[in-house]
Amino acid sequence: MNSKRLKKWCSVAMVSMVVVGTLSGCGSSGKESSKEGDGGEVVINFGIHVANPKEQESVTYNIVQAFNEKNAGKYKVEFQAADTESHSKNMKLAASDNTLPEIFWLDASEAPKYSNAGVLLDLNDFLNENTEIKAALGGMESAFTDDNGQYGLPYQCNVQGIFYNKELFDKVGVAYPTDETTYEDMLGMLAKFKENGITPLSIGSKNSGFAMWEFNETLARYGWEENIDSILAGDKKFNNEDLVTCFEKLKGLAEAGAFPENMATIEYFDAKQLFNEGKAAMFGTGQWDCAEFDKNIGEKIGFWWGPTFTDSDYDQEVAMKVPSAPIVVNAEVAEDEEVQEAVFEFLKFYYSKEAAELSYEGSIFPATNYEGMSATDTQYAMNAMLDTLASGWDSPSTAPDLTVTSAVQEALYNSLFGVMQETYTPEEALDLMDEALENSK
Amino acid sequence: MYWLSKKRYKIGLLIPTLLVYSVFIVLPIIIAVGYSFTRYSGIGKAKFLGIANYVRLFKDKLFWISFKNTMIIFVLAFVLLLTLSFLIALLLNHHLRAVDVSKALIFSPAIIAPIIVGIIWVYILDPNIGIINNILDALGASGLKQKWIGGEFWSPYSIAIIYFWQQLGYLVTIFIAGLKMIPNDVLEAVKIDGATGFQEVRYVIIPMMKSTISTVAVLIITGVFKIFEIVQQTTGGGPNHLSETLVTYSYSMTFTSSDYGYGMSLATVTFLLSLIITGVYSFLTREKER
Repeated sequence: MNSKRLKKWCSVAMVSMVVVGTLSGCGSSGKESSKEGDGGEVVINFGIHVANPKEQESVTYNIVQAFNEKNAGKYKVEFQAADTESHSKNMKLAASDNTLPEIFWLDASEAPKYSNAGVLLDLNDFLNENTEIKAALGGMESAFTDDNGQYGLPYQCNVQGIFYNKELFDKVGVAYPTDETTYEDMLGMLAKFKENGITPLSIGSKNSGFAMWEFNETLARYGWEENIDSILAGDKKFNNEDLVTCFEKLKGLAEAGAFPENMATIEYFDAKQLFNEGKAAMFGTGQWDCAEFDKNIGEKIGFWWGPTFTDSDYDQEVAMKVPSAPIVVNAEVAEDEEVQEAVFEFLKFYYSKEAAELSYEGSIFPATNYEGMSATDTQYAMNAMLDTLASGWDSPSTAPDLTVTSAVQEALYNSLFGVMQETYTPEEALDLMDEALENSK
Repeated sequence: MYWLSKKRYKIGLLIPTLLVYSVFIVLPIIIAVGYSFTRYSGIGKAKFLGIANYVRLFKDKLFWISFKNTMIIFVLAFVLLLTLSFLIALLLNHHLRAVDVSKALIFSPAIIAPIIVGIIWVYILDPNIGIINNILDALGASGLKQKWIGGEFWSPYSIAIIYFWQQLGYLVTIFIAGLKMIPNDVLEAVKIDGATGFQEVRYVIIPMMKSTISTVAVLIITGVFKIFEIVQQTTGGGPNHLSETLVTYSYSMTFTSSDYGYGMSLATVTFLLSLIITGVYSFLTREKER
């Protein structure tokens, strides 16, 4: 063979290798399901919305560890962890090529779409087989049902409202807020904090429109739950008298200087930092921040449902103890008995009294209610919440922001912050929500 | 190497690259354009809508705000970057003192990850914690304080300045490389003929660097339409999408609102706009060469 021909064949071989290599590299590896672990155990994947479950969702991490220890050699749960935004994208991609993990967390506004796409397992069988769990959930699971059945179960129970720093209230001589504190009382409070150079209510809108939990009560007290079905059905508009009045209250807070001047350039985490450092008097959030407040603010922490409104005809005795986002099960799990058994065993454990105890230890309210659960004396933030919950006020079945699709939800966040940042009038903000609803139909 | 000069072998060797390019660049663009005619939430099946997303886009106030912001950034960045990077390159091409240190300093922002660039500038421009407003306070000029980021007016201008700061060194380097390509004997002849510095630049350097200038211009145009991290890090597109660029607004619609169809229509328009501006620029400069 002469050298020219040799070179030619070498080139052809190399090109072929590159092409084959590239194409095989692009190929899907297929679904990794029903795996056996090193010890022969059935491994199930749990897709979670935080990058580091041990640090960021320590209660769930501890529950999973306890389950794995208890079922060593039989079942094993492994996390597929990514930050919320990446997790959301990953799950969508996985749904499109059938590689969803066996169990995964979903944003409540997105879960119904997965259910409609038929990729979620109906968990009614699981609940019917485990009546004690159904009883412990106390109806909280009803937030995640549709025509396709029980498409998810509550991940946790979210208690949302306004935490406050008692030390700063004492410093400026303002009484702690109570169930009787009205919006007008709150405006008076804000003025005192402003006079003393303290940010009254810490909040940040940069990349964190979702961080509006304290205003879920406000929306509920202006009839969100009573009207949302007719709004979604097109019989009513978001831009209605009740919600205009509600949004005017937010405008009033902005005008009274309730929020940090740089709220547009700080995120939820920066806003929380202001509160942790004692630079802000109040911060709206939920029980997931309790452990952090115990560490930073300790016994000076207080909790409040937010102001009541004298100009609203709707029930003002509204608390916000609602199911958080659902955890769901991949429909394909039903195709493998062993995997389904492992998934159901994990769910049984996740909603057991033992897991509820682990939740309380980590200052998280579990989705279940079992007798004899309580926080320790040093869980200050959780105790503050329990004191407020003792008033026995009713909660809506779902937090207002979770009752709409993600496009409308995003418009709601945009509208709320638009009014708070005074870029929209209440009417303009509500028109945006109507527009988003119209576009999503 | 004679066999390599044959057309069929050249084509053979290009096939892998073309395949990769088609699969990873051309195909996704076609798919994205396809989705722009649908309503798709990322889950389940897409529903064909025809041109409804494009009709919506032209009625969408936020699209026009993003468009306006992108154009402000484009005009500012194009004018500032093209002129100043060229002038700085001219300066650094001379044997001045500390020229190497200056080159290194000017180039240094280009090696910082864009996300870090954003963080750095938050500490400079933030209305509360930023250096600028704090200096104005210290100088007793509080009246001049502005919401450089996070406000309605200044955000796109601030983003243009940040982009300028980040890209300057990179473009200066390209211009310096272009200047080095000009033969020394030409420049010496110009000097012997008694041309002034301005005449040398106007009649010799600029005409001889047309291809470099075109390259830099195209880099700026395409770069502006890809600005993402700076906006995400400084303002997150806020307040209320008022500082969005076309790219960040498209991202927000696609991934935050899960409105993939509409997000893809925004992406398609952005792509076309970038293509048109680049095309117009290439056409205009080609005309001048004749």
